Amino acid sequence: MRARAVSLATLASLSVLAVGWQVGAQANASMQALSAPQAAPATIPAPSAGPATPTPAASAPAVSGPATTSAGSTTTVPTAAAPAPAAPAPAAPAPAARPTGTFTGSSVQTRFGPVQVSVTIANGTITEVTALQLTNDGGRSVAISAQAAPILRSEVLSAQSAKVSNVSGATYTTRGYLTSLQAALDTAGF
Amino acid sequence: MDAQTFETMGTVVSLRIGSTARGGAMRDGGLGDGGTRAVTEAAAPDAALAAVRTVFTRWDERFSLYRPDSEISRIARGDIRLTQASAELRDCYAIALDWRDRTDGVFTPHRADGVLDLSGVVKSLAIAEAGEALRGLGLSEWSVNAGGDLLVSGDQSPGQDWVAGIVDPASRHELLASVPLVAPVRAVATSGSAERGEHIWTSAGGGPSPYRQVSVIGLDIVTVDVLATTIIAGGEAALGRSIETFPIEVLAVLRDGSLVATAGLRSGQS
Repeated sequence: MRARAVSLATLASLSVLAVGWQVGAQANASMQALSAPQAAPATIPAPSAGPATPTPAASAPAVSGPATTSAGSTTTVPTAAAPAPAAPAPAAPAPAARPTGTFTGSSVQTRFGPVQVSVTIANGTITEVTALQLTNDGGRSVAISAQAAPILRSEVLSAQSAKVSNVSGATYTTRGYLTSLQAALDTAGF
Repeated sequence: MDAQTFETMGTVVSLRIGSTARGGAMRDGGLGDGGTRAVTEAAAPDAALAAVRTVFTRWDERFSLYRPDSEISRIARGDIRLTQASAELRDCYAIALDWRDRTDGVFTPHRADGVLDLSGVVKSLAIAEAGEALRGLGLSEWSVNAGGDLLVSGDQSPGQDWVAGIVDPASRHELLASVPLVAPVRAVATSGSAERGEHIWTSAGGGPSPYRQVSVIGLDIVTVDVLATTIIAGGEAALGRSIETFPIEVLAVLRDGSLVATAGLRSGQS
């Protein structure tokens, strides 16, 4: 499972790289080279085969302060993305033209729904990969970081206007049911 | 809304029929037999309850380790071999093993003492089958809550989603969250030590779970139930892997009472 997640992350960043280079450096040859591995696991189709949802950011990469983000200052380099910088090297125009900036990929269809990733590159080295969008089947956004984050009780989803008719709690026993909130709801006919 | 309840599997099942389904549920049921239609239409709530009860009773009689005469108890005692077991039991075992693989072995039907324990999937499989039985009756708006694990179909009433409350383990008459179950999200399961003590045994490492309660919200009842158990047993690593692998939302209560949640369970999602 871990391996799959890592490969997924790698592919996501690769596909973003492909878009970034295509737009930024017009290196179509590297685009081809980078797209090739995507066919293997088939979980992420090529960016061009993405969903019909418009991806405005993909056409114009937002470049945030060239060279202000040095590779050293942004410490969190995803290990999954580590092999990526090496891949485009043969097709990259020249050492002097190594791209720097933040590039936004097109939306990519995954089994979780469309995913859009932004990658920050400093002198040809990926310094950061950020998830911009991930929507699950229910149409609600979830975190691509796949982390459950700490949350205050006041921040938890609470459908105020709606009637709660069912309660989910750790399995209540027959005896426990009698004093449970569920029993109260059942009795009240909610 | 009328809630009907009955006891089974050491807990209580609550069945609700959505308001739009009452009386007119059989209209588009496609039943050619007018007599059958009249009977089910008039007796929908009773027939629905009977159907659900029948499903749960059958699962309980075969799979309860609390019943000495159940098939699973006879296997536990060595009276019969697994290869001699019924197709239903072997199918259930296969499902449990499949989930063991999908959870990296955290969820397992093999108890530490060697006893085959399928209770980790039996209740949710019974809930799922009860849902099929209700659909078979032509009912499309209902909720089945078995001991806090919930499966819904359709809407609670026209324009009103079914809403699941997540109970606060520290104060069990209060809710931590209330979550609208908007299709395709249909199921909620909660595991923990709030009521039954440490009823989930950890397969490796031992030690208590970092979580006092874990609620999983997703598309189907078996997945959410298995994953709630898995996260309790497997801790933070299992939580991370489950979120990565399955389209679910999770609300977990840590031992100190603090909460962690996936983004979909935040109010005013940003």
